[in-house]
This record gives sequence, structure tokens and C-alpha cells, in this order.
Amino acid sequence: MFRLLRVELFKIFSKPRSYIGFLAIAAIVMLLEIALYIDGKSYISFILQSLEQSFAVQGNLLNGYLVCFIILQTLIVQMPLLVALVTGDLISGEAASGTLRLMLSRPFSRTQILTAKFAAGSAYTFVLLLCLGVLALGGGVLLFGEGDLIVLKSDSLVILRSNDVLWRYMAALSLAFVSLLTVASFALMLSCFTDNSIGPIVSSMAVIILFTIIGTLDVPLFDKIKPFLFTTHMIIWRNLFDNPIDKLQVYTSVAVLIFHIVLFYTIALIHFNRKDIYT
Amino acid sequence: MRYIFLLFFFPFLVHAQSNPKQLIEAANQRFAKVISYSAAINLNFQIPGVQLEPINGKVYYKKPTKFRIHSKGIIFLPKQNPYYALQSVRDTNSFTAVPSGSEILNGKSTTIISVIPTANSDDLILAKFWIEDARQLIHKVQLTTKTNGTITVEQSFGLFANYGLPDVIKFVVDVAKFKIPKVVAMELNSKSKKTDPENLQKGTGEITLKFSNYILNKQLDESVFEETKK
Repeated sequence: MFRLLRVELFKIFSKPRSYIGFLAIAAIVMLLEIALYIDGKSYISFILQSLEQSFAVQGNLLNGYLVCFIILQTLIVQMPLLVALVTGDLISGEAASGTLRLMLSRPFSRTQILTAKFAAGSAYTFVLLLCLGVLALGGGVLLFGEGDLIVLKSDSLVILRSNDVLWRYMAALSLAFVSLLTVASFALMLSCFTDNSIGPIVSSMAVIILFTIIGTLDVPLFDKIKPFLFTTHMIIWRNLFDNPIDKLQVYTSVAVLIFHIVLFYTIALIHFNRKDIYT
Repeated sequence: MRYIFLLFFFPFLVHAQSNPKQLIEAANQRFAKVISYSAAINLNFQIPGVQLEPINGKVYYKKPTKFRIHSKGIIFLPKQNPYYALQSVRDTNSFTAVPSGSEILNGKSTTIISVIPTANSDDLILAKFWIEDARQLIHKVQLTTKTNGTITVEQSFGLFANYGLPDVIKFVVDVAKFKIPKVVAMELNSKSKKTDPENLQKGTGEITLKFSNYILNKQLDESVFEETKK
């Protein structure tokens, strides 16, 4: 099984496409950090303008923790797309290149092969997220230093003391991993249904974009649908920066996401085990 | 006989009621004994739309206007330093003082004095002082300014009352409702809240400064008053 996983990891990391995600993350993070380094003070002034009319705000406002928070918020839309780019290709890519039948002729069950592919996709997702965490948090703290975190909300500000922030980031990145794993399992499921690699990638992206738009629109008609969309629960990492944290909401969202992962993986497994392979 | 009695005591009765400048001067004299101080400080914030936990720090003051709080985190402070009111009335020729009644504050009998600056260039439009009759301590000041609206400063005294230094200062400041666009806050999937009419009433923020461990009139390095990184 581990040999199979090693092979799958080798396949993922030998494809140039897999590095698009890393490049995109590095570019976005560096661009945002440079922009905030040069012009961050005016951004902070814009946010605090109504409060600065009444108060003098003192302290290191533009610090690494805030920069990391801004980056995470910006990348929340892009990250699932980058994950789908790789995981949507895991089965259909093999089918398209004509290697799936050959692969299934090896002494491994289909369940083992699919599990190895899912594990490899999860490992890729983890490395991608780790890269984001190191660049955003590490780079941010290195460039801007530490300080209290200003959590931006449209109608309020939550300011968390610096000694209360790091564990929240670790927990938020763990939650983001569960969220991205949902996308990975969804893309893998779609990948089992087609024999071309573009279809599942584009379909996954389309579904994520559609669900995100439904979640963003403030229309009463969508209010009943929103709790059932996995994209609604994918931004639960933000709740970890509330004070106090709504633990029930966090647990509920994690449970919903895990349910989706299991559901998508099970559907993929059932279909893949029954599938007639022609290529 | 009655007229002679009144004639004799009239100046004293008038003195208490109609010499507000002297009362302000007496309060100023107490504080004038403070050349510099450092102290430990605890800051507590009750600002609508801002969730900020209390924080400890160190405070430094040097005559006449240098005031700086050092803390490890983000703090919100009133734009004026705590002694702005006293500094505004240091020159007794620069304002007109009018007695405006009396009130019991924190169990102490106080005289209310309204102060109107004579110069138009000052930011201060009107100040109202609640000065304790017995010890000439300022328990409350209400400042109406051109740039920051109304600011109320409430003080309670302890060990350093002789110097006019309070143990607790509470600022009540007018605050505009905090609002930034959802796009800037990147609030995806969040439902807009209906405006609560009660929330609209809450237009004031409170900052409470608790002082302890005062060290008076010791030499302070100028570097402690330098601006910290924003």
C-alpha cells in the first residue's frame, strides 16, 4: 500500500501542472506582502478611519498576523481551484492517457488503488497548505513582526492579543485542510465518472464557484440551501478568530465536511469498483 | 443687626459661590506639584464595534504635556491626554469661569464650574468641571471640542489625591458607528444583520485607565515619550 502511495505521489509531483498551485500561492503571497509593506499603512487607515476620528490607536497594527489573515482571506477562493486542478485528474488522467487498464492489472485491488490516489491527493493538498502557511505566516512575521491581530468584519473589529493568535492559526490551517480535503474528494469522485482529465477539473471548479456565489448572495431564497452546501462550511476557519469561539458551529461544520468527504469517497469507490475500464 | 451680620459674612458667601477661578486654580496647584511620574496602568475598553481585551502597561508623564503609555499590544486612547482639561485652564486669563451649581459625586460635594475659553483658536469650546469643595479635586470634566465632539472624563482618587493624581480615569467619547464594506472585510457567506435601533443609540465608547505604583518626580528619559511604530 505504501509502495502504491509512493508511486502516486511520484506521479503527482512529476507533473508540471502540480506546481502551478505552488507558483500561484507564492506569487499571490509575495505580491500581497510587498503591497502591504509599501502601502499597508493607508490600508489600515482606511479600515480604522471612523475610529481614528475619536481615538488615537497605538501599537503595531500592521503586523505579520494581520498580513497572514488578509492573505488567507484572499486565497480562500483560489485554493480549492488549485486542489481540484490536481485531484480532478487522478483517475480520469490515467484513463485519458491510456494507463488505467494497465495500472489495474497490477496485484492491487481497485479500492487500494483509489485509496492510494486519494491519500496522495491529500498529501499534495497538505503540502500546498503548508506552503501557504509558511509563506503567509512565516513571511509575514519575518517582514512585519509580531503583534495583536485585528480581525476584520464588516460591522466590527475583533482584536486578539498576540499570545492568543498562533494556536488559532494552527487550528485554522487544520480546518482549511479538512475543507480542501472535501474539494479533493469531490474532484476525485468526478474524476471516476469520466475518461478525460479536463471535465472533472472544470466541473469541480464550476460547482465550487456556483456554490460560493449562492453563499455570497444575500437572497432569502438561498438561505435554506446554504447550510447544505459544503462551500458554506469551508470558510469555518474564520470562526476560530472570533472571541469567544462558537464551538458548536465549528464542530457542526467539521462534521458536515467530514460527512461530505466520506460521501464523495464512498460514491467514488462504489463507481470505480463497478466501472468497466476500456482504456 | 441682621444687616451688619449679612454685611460681615457676605464676602465669604460670595467667595464660595462666585470665585470659580480660584477653585480651578487650587485644583491646578495640586497637580503643579507633579513634575513627572511613571506608573503601572491597566486599560479597559468598551467601544461599540470593537472587541478588545484589557491590557497592562506602563505610563509616563512629564510636565507640561508629555504623556505616553507603553504596552505590548494595540490600545485605543482618547486623542487628548488625561490632563488636557487642566492644561487648558492653566492660564487663568485665558478663560471665563461661571459657577453652574453643585452636585454630589462619588459621595463628595462638588461645585460645577463652566469654563469658556476666551481665545477662539483653541480646540476647546466649553468645559464643565466638577470640583470637590473640600479637597479641590476634579472628579469630573465634560469637554466640548471642535474636532472630537463631547468627551467626559471621570476621576476617582486614592493615595495620591494630594497631588491631584487619580487612581482611575474613565473617558467617555463620542464614537461613529464602525462599518467597512463586506468586500474589504472579505466576508463571504455572511448574512447581513438588520440594524438594531438600540445599537444606533450606542454612540459612546468608554476607556478606563487604572493607575497603580506611582513613582513621582523622578528623572525620566526623553526616549520613553517617543512615538511607537504603528
